[in-house]
Order: sequence, then C-alpha cells, then structure tokens
Amino acid sequence: MLGTMYSILSPGGNVQSGARIPSLALDQQLHLYRLMCLNRRVDDQMIRLQRQGRLGFYVGSQGEEAAIIGSAFALEPRDWVVPCYRELGAALVKGFPLIDLFSQFFGNSRDLTKGRQMPNHYANHDLRVTSISSPVGSQIPHAIGLALGARLAGNDDVALVYFGDGATSQGDFHVATNFAGVFKTPTILFCRNNQWAISVPVESQTASRNMAVKATAYGIEGVRVDGNDIFAVYDVTSKAVAKARRGEGPTLIEAVTYRRGGHSTSDDPNSYRDDAEVEPWIERDPILRFRLYLTRQGHWDDDKEQALEDEVRATIRNSLDEAFRSGPPSLDTVFEDVYDEMPWHLREQMESVCTPEEFQTVEQGT
Amino acid sequence: MGIKGPTTEQLLDMYAAMWRIRLFEEQAEYQSGQGKVLGALHTYIGQEAVGVGICAHLTDADYITSTHRGHGHCISKGADVRRMMAELFGRVTGYCKGKGGSMHIADFAVGMLGANGIVAGGFGLATGAGLAAQVRESGQVAVCFFGDGAVNRGPFHENINLGAVWRLPVVYVCENNQYAQWTPQEEITLVTDVASMSSAYGIPGAQVDGMDVLSVYQAAGEAVDRARRGEGPTLLECKTYRFHGHNFGDPQQYRTKEEISDWSGQHDPIQGLGDHLQREGVLTAEEAESIRNSVQEEIAGAVRFADESPYPGPEELTRDVFSTPVA
Ligand SMILES: Cc1ncc(C[n+]2csc(CCOP(=O)(O)OP(=O)(O)O)c2C)c(N)n1
Ligand SMILES: Cc1ncc(C[n+]2csc(CCOP(=O)(O)OP(=O)(O)O)c2C)c(N)n1
Ligand SMILES: [Mg+2]
Ligand SMILES: [Mg+2]
Repeated sequence: MLGTMYSILSPGGNVQSGARIPSLALDQQLHLYRLMCLNRRVDDQMIRLQRQGRLGFYVGSQGEEAAIIGSAFALEPRDWVVPCYRELGAALVKGFPLIDLFSQFFGNSRDLTKGRQMPNHYANHDLRVTSISSPVGSQIPHAIGLALGARLAGNDDVALVYFGDGATSQGDFHVATNFAGVFKTPTILFCRNNQWAISVPVESQTASRNMAVKATAYGIEGVRVDGNDIFAVYDVTSKAVAKARRGEGPTLIEAVTYRRGGHSTSDDPNSYRDDAEVEPWIERDPILRFRLYLTRQGHWDDDKEQALEDEVRATIRNSLDEAFRSGPPSLDTVFEDVYDEMPWHLREQMESVCTPEEFQTVEQGT
Repeated sequence: MGIKGPTTEQLLDMYAAMWRIRLFEEQAEYQSGQGKVLGALHTYIGQEAVGVGICAHLTDADYITSTHRGHGHCISKGADVRRMMAELFGRVTGYCKGKGGSMHIADFAVGMLGANGIVAGGFGLATGAGLAAQVRESGQVAVCFFGDGAVNRGPFHENINLGAVWRLPVVYVCENNQYAQWTPQEEITLVTDVASMSSAYGIPGAQVDGMDVLSVYQAAGEAVDRARRGEGPTLLECKTYRFHGHNFGDPQQYRTKEEISDWSGQHDPIQGLGDHLQREGVLTAEEAESIRNSVQEEIAGAVRFADESPYPGPEELTRDVFSTPVA
C-alpha cells in the first residue's frame, strides 16, 4: 500500500537504521509536538461545535498533522504558505492567532475577512498565509506567481503550496508545475496524498504509480516521504526550501498520509469506506509516533502530556470564549473594499439599510 | 507484436493521401493569397506522414479529434476535399455551410469529430468518444491529435490521466513539430521528449520519426491494437516539422531558412515514401507521377467546386445554432 518513501522514525517512534534526525533544538521539537496536539484538539472541538449547530462548516486534518506542520516549519516567516483547505496546522506554525482563526470560522466582527468567506477560509497576508482556495488545485498557480514575483522583486522568499492527491488530476496542477519547472520558480509543491479525494480513492484517481512520479513529466525533482513522520517531512521540505532559495527551482513532495476523518463536516465516510481501512492508520498516528520518540529520548512523560493537554484545552477555551463574545460584523462593512471611493448608488443603498446598531438588534431578536 | 502490413494497396493509398494533403494545402495557400480563403489558414505541409500513417489503422467508425492544423487529419480520415475547399472559401456547400472555415471542419460520417481553434480542445472530445466506445463495448478507437504546444495545457493532463485510469480506447498522438506558433518547444517545456511523459501517467509511450510514414504506421498499429484490446491508452509522439509558417503569412523570424530547408530537403515524408516504393519495385517513377497528377486533378476539381458554389444566404445566420430554430 505504501511503497518506498523516505522516513526517519518508524511507526513505533524508533530511529530507522542509518537515518539521521534533522538538527532541531529540543524546544523546537517540543514546539512542534505542541502544535500537532493543538491542531488535533482544535479539529475535535470545531467538529463538535459544527455538530451542535454552532459552526457552519469545518475541514479537519486528523492524521495529517505531521505532513502539514513538519513542512510549514521548514519555512521562514517571510516565506509564503499557500494552503488548500486542510492546513490549519501550517497557519498555526505561521503564528496565526487562534482568536483570528475562530473569528473567521464564526464570521464575527473580529474576522479579518469581515465575515464574507465560507467558514474555514481564513487568510492573513501579514503572516504570508494566502486565502484558502477551495476550487481544487486553483491555489497552485497562485503559489507559482508569488514565487516568481519574489524572484522578480529580487529577494529569495519561497512559496510552499499544499494540495491533495485529488488536485493532481487538475489542469491547474499541470500548467503550474510545468511553469514552475521551465521558469525555475522558488516553489515547493507539497502534495498531501491522504488516499482519498472526498469519496474517490487514490487508485481511481490516477493510473500513476504514485504522486511523486508525476514530477518526471515536468523535468523536476519528485520526492516521496512518509507524511506521518514529522522529522522526515521536515527534512525533505527543508532541503527543497534551501534548493528553491538557491535558485535551483521547484520540488514536488508527496507526503504519504491518510485522511482519518470525513472529508469535511458535510461528509460521512462510512458511506464509502470500511473502518477496517482506517485502523492501520491509527497505529501510524503521527502524534503518537512523535510522542513515543520523545518519551524514549527522556524528553516526555505522562505528567508533561497531561500538563500540555490542560494548557491546550485552556488556550482553545479562552480564544473560543473571546470569539463568541464578538457579534457579527456591522452591516455597513458589506459596502467596503469594493471601490476606493464609494459610488453614489452604493452610498444610497448603504443609507437605506438600517444602522449597524439596528442591525445587531435585529439579529439578536431572531 | 509486429503489425502486419501495410499491404501494397495500403502503401499506394497512403502515398496518394499524402499527396492529397500536400496539394490541397498548396492550393489553399495559393487561394488564400488570391483572397479566396476566408479566415486564418494553418497548413499540414511536412506532417503528412503522421495523419496518414495513423488513420491507415482506422475505419469510418473510429473517431479522431483534430487541431487548428486540421486539414491533414480530415483528408487522412477520408473527408471530401471538395466540401473542405468550399468551407475554406466560405461557401454554402462546405462542411459547415461556409460558416465555420478552416478550423471547424468536421465530418461525423467518417468519424472526424472536428478541427478545433482552441489549443488542446480535442482532448475532452477524444476521451469522451473513447468512454462512449468503452461503455457501448463497440470496439471503436478514438485518436486524439495534438501539438507540442498543447502538451502544456490542462486538458492534456486531465484527459490522459482519466484515459489511463479508466483504460479508455484512446491513442493520444503528439505531433511534435517543435514549435508552438513562434515559440520553440524547449522554451516552454523541460521534457521535450513528450513520449517519456507517459511514465508519469502510468501508460506506455512511444516515439517515432514522424517524417517516416512506415514508422508511424508501425507504432500506430501497436497503439490502436492495444486500445482495441481494451488495454488502455498510449501516448505516441511523432517527431515532425512543419515546412511552412505557423499560419499563412507567418514571417518565420523565429527560425532559420537553413533549418527549414534541412527538414524539407532531407526529411520530406512524401519523397521518403516515394523513394522507398520505387526501391522496393512497388512503384515506377511514371506511376508516381501519375498518382500525383490525378490527385492534382482532384484538388483542381475541389477548387472549381468551391468557386462555383454560392455563399450562404442571410437565412443561414440563425440556423444550426439551436436544435429548435430561433423564430
Ligand atoms: C474544481 C473543484 N472541483 C470539485 C470540488 C469539490 N471538492 C472539494 S474537495 C474535493 C476533493 C479534493 O481531494 P484532494 O485533492 O485529495 O484533497 P483532500 O480533500 O483529500 O485533502 C472535491 C472534489 C471543488 N472544490 N473544486
Ligand atoms: C487556448 C489557446 N491558446 C492560444 C491559442 C493561440 N494559438 C493557436 S495555435 C497555437 C500554437 C499551438 O502549438 P502546437 O500545439 O504545437 O500546434 P502546431 O501549431 O505546432 O501544430 C497557439 C498558441 C489558441 N488557439 N488557443
Ligand atoms: Mg486527498
Ligand atoms: Mg507545434
């Protein structure tokens, strides 16, 4: 099922023979571990809120945390993360505050995107996290453009773009990867092969042997890595980032992982796949693997785990409370950000609707 | 393995068909210069061996899709040169009643699903035709012709991926003439041997000398047989060269005269087959000449037919758009 791929840690958290742990200080390792746990907890919490009818929509990444967090951690703050929609972990690595994420999910008055986007479609250009781009594959050309732009501007920023196995079947993947190869743009094309595109299994997605082999059609390097191995993911991505920065062009990385949950909160995977298929992936859990490693190294124990668990829960709770306290964006924001100077017909419309105060009263009354 | 044939009869047919394309295109260019051809004109001169060598394996029931450079595909598949010329002239006797022009010729009766003004526009049609053949278990094959430029477009990727995963009876034929309009292939594609891209799609690829109709015939036979056996698509790359400009009137400043004359002087596909047939004793010089002459007559007849046909009347303007005519 898995084929050959680069790995450092075995599923049991042992260092594979001949493998070398990338040079990450202990506090960096513990930071990564915390982010993975935070990512998992946020997912659980949001899915619960959606089931309670308090959140419209959510996309979880259970089981894919190492692929997402390990790769994003290979970037500098000035580098671009161009997400698909399942990379909350990358946003966390980038320092996206939880309160900003939650405010976006609820579309409240603190939402940086002013409640105009579907839940889970966050963006923060100051952090160089571009908007979630849910038309499958559409973000790949954006990343190539950002990378080319950086080079034309004379700096060595790179762009890392995430997409799924399903997205590799899109024309956008093809034109963008070809362009990246021909123009040697500083891009990392990061494919999370989580084995499913909603209900389409990867065997029905393509006749290609794997995702990494697709690189050969573009004359670029393709790398296959165990996506549940945080060290291996970090290692291959760091190399690809360094290569891109040196001006040596793009790399296609295939992280072999598994989507353990539903595609989104709108999906029920029981209708198209067997639980038995999911089971081996629970044993391959990326967080468990990292914890076993840290424990074996003497850096982790049950007390620390409990303390982390408590801290993460409290952090989420506090940000959630704060997000819930904020009301909806005021109605006049609907008229912003379209024209530099508001034309008369919009002004007329704005003045004809109720005042922001009235709007909030109306909302709460319903 | 091993593709049987071509028989002597097929060889002579292929020889005549290549001349039919060449002389049709030369006339089309001449008539374009006379102001008779309406709209753009992209000729197939130099690439005749590809269309002819491949379509030799197809029947009228099989499908092909074509490109903006489509006259050669039409003729290879057996379309009527009179109706083609009439279409170029914008006459009502043309394939689209004079309303489509060079880039919209289709002849469903012979399985020619249409030229296409959109680069890579044929992929979806050919893949869909292959799917229809598979669903109906009809044994038909679809051939998708496209250029090296089209390789860089999304439909190439999406359709070959789908054709591969569904094992459709499609042959994807890249006519790699090394230029996309004025752009040399290596400026826009790193992997210039298109056939080798097949490994990324999990299907076989083959590369042949597209100036040698016998090589094309051989490789196409294997690919078409494979498709007919239900074993899925092949990516077949024919290395070729267009002897004339991208379109009629192209000043060709992106390539040298020497490059062009090297190809047309040393790799002319028609001369290549003619010489081969004479060496093999299949054809005498006189017979070759008479084939050419009779094709020339045919093309002259097509021009006369086009010239004598009327233009479509204003009533044609709203026809053939909706199945229920607009009131
Ligand atoms: C162009 C387009 N087609 C279809 C959809 C519906 N859709 C949303 S996600 C998805 C599957 C994508 O799968 P994959 O690329 O493997 O990413 P994953 O969800 O597994 O992370 C589909 C078909 C869409 N959003 N955009
Ligand atoms: C989608 C699209 N983009 C651009 C064009 C303009 N155009 C017409 S032909 C052509 C080049 C095609 O090159 P190739 O596929 O190699 O075919 P060739 O002309 O060499 O036969 C271009 C860019 C077009 N017709 N359609
Ligand atoms: Mg997927
Ligand atoms: Mg070309």
